[in-house]
Amino acid sequence: MEGDLFTVALLSSGLRLATPIILAALGGAFCARAGVLNLALEGKMLLGAFVAIVATFYLGNTLAGIFVAVLLGGLLGYMFAFFYLKYEVNLIILALAINLLIGELTVYVMRVLFGNVGSWSDPSIQRLPDFEIPLLSSIPIVGDILSGYNFIVYFSWLACIVGYIVLFHSKFGRHIRAVGENKQAAETLGINVRRVQVSAMVIAGMLCALGGAFLSVGHLSLFTRNMSNGLGWVAVTANIFGFQHPLGVLLTGYFFGLAEAFAVRIQNVTDLPPNLIQLLPQFATLAALILVALREKANLALIRRRFRRQLARGEMQTPVAGD
Amino acid sequence: MDNYHRQQRVNTFLVPLLAVISGLVVAAVLIIFTDNSPFAAFEELFKAGFGCSSLNRCAFFTTLERATPLMLTGLSAVVAFRSGMFSIGQEGQFALGALTAAWLGFALDLPPVVHAIVIMLAAMVIGGIYGWIPGVLKVKLNINEVITTIVMNEIAVLFLVYMVNFPLRADRGTTAYSPVIDETAKLMIFMPGSKWGMGFVIAVAAVLAVYFYLWRSAPGYEQRMAGQSSLFALFGGIRNDRAAIRGMFISGALAGLAGAIEVIGVHYRINQDFAPGLGFTGLSVAILGQVHPFGVFLVAILFAGVGLGAQLGLQINLGIPRELGGTVIALMILFVAAEKFYTDGISGLRERWAHFRGQKTAVELAMEEKK
Amino acid sequence: MANAVELRNITKYFPSSNVLANNDVTLSIAEGEVHALVGENGAGKTTLMNIFYGLHQPDSGEILVNGQPVEIHHPDDAIKLGIGMVHQHFKLVPSFTIAENIMLGIEPNQYGMLKKKEEAELVRQLANDFGLPVDPYARIRDLPVGMQQRVEILKALQREAKILILDEPTAVLTPQEVKELLAVVRNLAQRGRTIIFITHKLVEVKDVADRLSVMRGGKMIGTRSVAETSIPDMARMMVGRSVLLELDKKPATPGQVVFKADNITVTDASGLPAVRHISFSVREGEILGIAGVSGNGQTELVEAISGMRPVEGGTFTFVDKDITRRSVGERRKQGMAHIPEDRIKIGLNLETNLDENLVVNRYKLPEFNRLGFMILSAMKRFASFAVKQFSIAAAQPGEMIATLSGGTCRRWCWRVSCLASRSLSLPTSQRAVWMWAALSLCIGRWWMCGTGRRRCC
Repeated sequence: MEGDLFTVALLSSGLRLATPIILAALGGAFCARAGVLNLALEGKMLLGAFVAIVATFYLGNTLAGIFVAVLLGGLLGYMFAFFYLKYEVNLIILALAINLLIGELTVYVMRVLFGNVGSWSDPSIQRLPDFEIPLLSSIPIVGDILSGYNFIVYFSWLACIVGYIVLFHSKFGRHIRAVGENKQAAETLGINVRRVQVSAMVIAGMLCALGGAFLSVGHLSLFTRNMSNGLGWVAVTANIFGFQHPLGVLLTGYFFGLAEAFAVRIQNVTDLPPNLIQLLPQFATLAALILVALREKANLALIRRRFRRQLARGEMQTPVAGD
Repeated sequence: MDNYHRQQRVNTFLVPLLAVISGLVVAAVLIIFTDNSPFAAFEELFKAGFGCSSLNRCAFFTTLERATPLMLTGLSAVVAFRSGMFSIGQEGQFALGALTAAWLGFALDLPPVVHAIVIMLAAMVIGGIYGWIPGVLKVKLNINEVITTIVMNEIAVLFLVYMVNFPLRADRGTTAYSPVIDETAKLMIFMPGSKWGMGFVIAVAAVLAVYFYLWRSAPGYEQRMAGQSSLFALFGGIRNDRAAIRGMFISGALAGLAGAIEVIGVHYRINQDFAPGLGFTGLSVAILGQVHPFGVFLVAILFAGVGLGAQLGLQINLGIPRELGGTVIALMILFVAAEKFYTDGISGLRERWAHFRGQKTAVELAMEEKK
Repeated sequence: MANAVELRNITKYFPSSNVLANNDVTLSIAEGEVHALVGENGAGKTTLMNIFYGLHQPDSGEILVNGQPVEIHHPDDAIKLGIGMVHQHFKLVPSFTIAENIMLGIEPNQYGMLKKKEEAELVRQLANDFGLPVDPYARIRDLPVGMQQRVEILKALQREAKILILDEPTAVLTPQEVKELLAVVRNLAQRGRTIIFITHKLVEVKDVADRLSVMRGGKMIGTRSVAETSIPDMARMMVGRSVLLELDKKPATPGQVVFKADNITVTDASGLPAVRHISFSVREGEILGIAGVSGNGQTELVEAISGMRPVEGGTFTFVDKDITRRSVGERRKQGMAHIPEDRIKIGLNLETNLDENLVVNRYKLPEFNRLGFMILSAMKRFASFAVKQFSIAAAQPGEMIATLSGGTCRRWCWRVSCLASRSLSLPTSQRAVWMWAALSLCIGRWWMCGTGRRRCC
C-alpha cells in the first residue's frame, strides 16, 4: 500500500490538483493568443469557487451551481474586457485590482450572508460525484490513473484538446491568433478585433470559474477565504511554461499539479520539506524563459556570424550606387 | 495651449479624487445591504482609522504604522515604473527582505542601533539583488519583466514558507514561526499601544530621498528619461540598460527594506503567511498616487486608514465585515485606472460648457487657426 | 470616364495632437485611372486615405463611390464597396503563411473549421491569374519586403478590390522591385482597376500615373493631368513656392579631415546587413550630403555614427581619435551632435518639460550638474536662453513639450542640436524639399561661424 501511495495514488491526485490549474491556464492561453495578458486568473477562479458553492446552496443542485458560476465567470471576463477596451485601463493594474476586489468581496458577501466565519459549508451541499469511465477503468494501472474523477477533471482534458483544435484549425481561432500577433492586420481586413478579444476574455473567465468551482464543490465542499490560494498565479506560470499552447498547458498544468500532490504526500508521509518540490516547476519555468530568450539571442548571433563570415570572404554583392 | 496644460494639471488631482469618491459610493451601496446607514458607517470608519480620542488610544498612530510598508513598497513601484520597468516583484522582494531580517534578527549579536541598521542594509541588498535579476534578464535577454517578477514572487514566497517551516522554525508547535528577534534588533517605538516608530520615520525619509533622487539627481534624470522615452534617452547619450537595471535594484532594495521594517519594527518574527499581498497593494498605492513619491505618501496613509477603520470601526462596532475596507481600496484602484472614463467625462463637460457659452469647438478653432 | 470615387469637403481634426490633418479636402478619381496623390510628409494624404478606407471617421464631408453616397465606418464597409488598401507599413501576421494572410477573414470553412488545402489552392490560382506568383505555404517572416508587398496586393485583389489604394508603396523597395511594382500597377489598371498611388517621388508619378492631385498642409492644392505637368511644376505645387536650388553662400574653404568612416558595415534590427563597406571622410567646415531612398541604410549609418547602433566592421575616427567603440555620451562630449530623422519620437521626450528636454545631451556638464545633482536654476536659465536665441514663439521654460505643436517640436529639436558643436549629422530626404532649404540656411550659419567654438549660430 505504501508503494501505491507514491505511484498510482500520487499520479491521480496530481491530476486532480492540476484540474483548476489546467483550466485557468487554458483561459490564460486563449487571452495571450488574443494579445491580452491576463493576470486576473486568480480572481476569476476565486469568484467561481465562491459563486459555485453559494449557488449550489440556494438552488439545491450542484450542476446548476456550477452553471451559474461559469456564467458569472464569463460576466467577470466581459467586465475585464470592457474596462480594458473601453477605458484603456492598464491590463496589469486592472488584473491586480480585480484579484484584490474578488478576494475581499467574496469574504465580505460570505460574512454578510452566513455570519462571521472564515470558511463556510452546509450539509445540504453535495460534492460533484466521481464516476468511472466504463472501458478505461477496467485497464489495470492506467484505469486507476485516468478514471474515477468528476466531470470537471475530464472536461479539463477535453477542453485542452478542443482548445487546440479551435485555436489552430478553426476560423475563430485563426482570428484570435491574428489579432494577438498583429491587431492592425486583422482590423484592416474587417475582423472585429474588439469582439475577438472580448470572446477570448469571456472564455477565459468561464474556464477560470469552472476551475474555481472544482475547488469548492468538486474537490471539497466548502469555501474558505482566499480559497484559490495562489493557484491562479500558478496557472499564469503554467501558461507561460506551456508557451500559450493548449496542449502545452495540459502538460505543464499537470506538472504543477503533480508537484503540489507530491508536496502534500511528502508532508503526510515524511518530515521532508514539501515546499522545495513546489519550487521545482517554478524554477523550471524561469529556466524555460531564459532558455527561450537565449535561443533567440543565439539565432541572432548566428545570423550575424554568418554575415560576418561572408563579409570576411568578400562574398557580399554590394549594389552599385545609382543603378 | 496653456489651457491644455492647465487641464492636465487639474486632471492629475481631480481623477484620483473622483476615483476615491466613486469607491465610497459603491461602498455605501454595499453597506446598505447590511442594514446600516452608510453615513454612520463612514463616520465610524473615519473615527477608527484616522481619529484620535486620546494620546494613548490613538488609532491614527496605528494607521501610520500600517502605512509604513505600503509607503515603501509603493516607492519601490514608483522607482521601477519611472525607469520604464513594469516590475510587479515587490511581493517577492518584500518576502526576502522580511526573511533576511527575521534571520539576522536572532542570528547576529550586535549592539542595539547597529544591529537594526545592519539588518536593514542586508535586507536592502537582498531585495535589491532580487530586483536586479529581472532587470538584467530584461536588458540582456529581453525577457518581459512582468513575467519574470511573477515567477520570482512565487519562488520567494515558497522559499519563505520553506524557511519558516524548516530551518528557521522556532519550535515544533502547531503553527510555524521563526524565533523572536533580539531586543537589540528592534526599532524604537514612539507611542505605546501602537508600533508607530522609527520605521515610519525611515519610510518618510525614503519618500523624500526617492523624490530627490528622481527629480533632482542626474542618475534619476537618466532613469526618468529612459522610462518615458527610451529612444530619446539613447539619442541623448543615456545608457538605458544601466538606468533600467539601477532602477530595478533600487526598487528591490526599497521593497526589501519594507519587509525588514515590518519584521524588526512590528512583528519581531515571521510566519508562513508573512507577505499577505502587501507587494500588490504597494503597486496599487503607486498607481493611485500618480506614480509620485508624495502621492504614495498620502495614498499609503489613506489605504492603511481605510483598512484599519474597516477592521476596528466597522467590524467590531457595527458588525460590517472588515473586508469592506479591501473592497473599497480595490474599487478605488479600478476607478483610478479607468482614468479615461473621468477625463473623457471632464472634457465632455468642458466642451458642453463652452458650447453653452457660445464658444467655438476645437475643430472650428483649429480650422480658423489654419486660415 | 465616370468618377469611381468622390471625396467631398473632408475635414479631419485630431484633438490629442491638435492637428488639422484634412482641411476641406475634395478629390475625385476617374474609373480605371492611376491617380497619384502627392504631397510632403504630413500633408494629410495618408489620413485622407485612412478615412476613405474606414480607419478614421471624418469630422465632416461625404464620400461617393460610383456616384452613390456611402458611409464607411469600418474597413469592412470599405472592403464590401470594393476598396482595397496596401498600407505603408504592411499589415501582415508574421507567423502566418502567405495563404493564411491573404485569406484572413474570408477563410473557406466548413462549420467554422478551416479547409487549408482549398485555401492554398485559391491563393495559387489568384496569384497566377494576376501574374504575381507566390508560394502559399511560405511564412511571412521569412520573406523579403518586395514579396510581402505582393502579398498585400494579392490580399486586396482576393477581396475583389476595384479601387486599390497604394500608400507610398515604393518607399521600402529596391530599384529593381520598384520597376516590377510599377509594371504591376500598370497591368492592374489595364485590367480595369482604379488605382490611387500615394507617393512623394515625382519621377514615379511621371512614370505610372494618369493624373495627379497635390496636397499641402492638409489642403487639396489641385488636380492636373500628368502628361501636361512638368516635374518642377509638380514640385512647386507640393512646396508652395519655387524651390530654391541655389543658396547664397560663400564658397567653402574646408580644412583638415575631422571625421573619417573606414569600411563601415552595420546591420539592422533583425541582423540583416543595412550598410556595407562604406568609407568617407569629412573635412572641417564641410557639409557632406548622403542621399538615397529611405530604407537604404542611411538611418542605420547615421545611428552608427552617433553611437546609437553598434557597427559590425570598420572604424570611425573623429578628430584623430578612434570612436568606434565609444558610447553616445562620449561622442557628444567630444563635440558631435545629431538631429535624428524622426525628430519627435527620437529627438524629444514628450512626457516632460522643455528644460529637461534641452539638457539631455549636456546634463553631465558641470554647469548643470553638481555632485550628481541637477541644478534646476541653470536648466531654466538655459531654457530661456534657448527660447530667446531661436525666438520660438509659444514656448516658455518649464512648459511641457507635449503642448507644443509638431512643427515647433521639430524646429526645436534641430536648432537646439545646433548649439552643440563640431560635427552635425543631419537627416534630409528628397521629400522634404523646403525643410532642406531651411536647414541649409541654419547649417550655412553654423558653417560660417566655424568649428572651433562650442556654441554657434
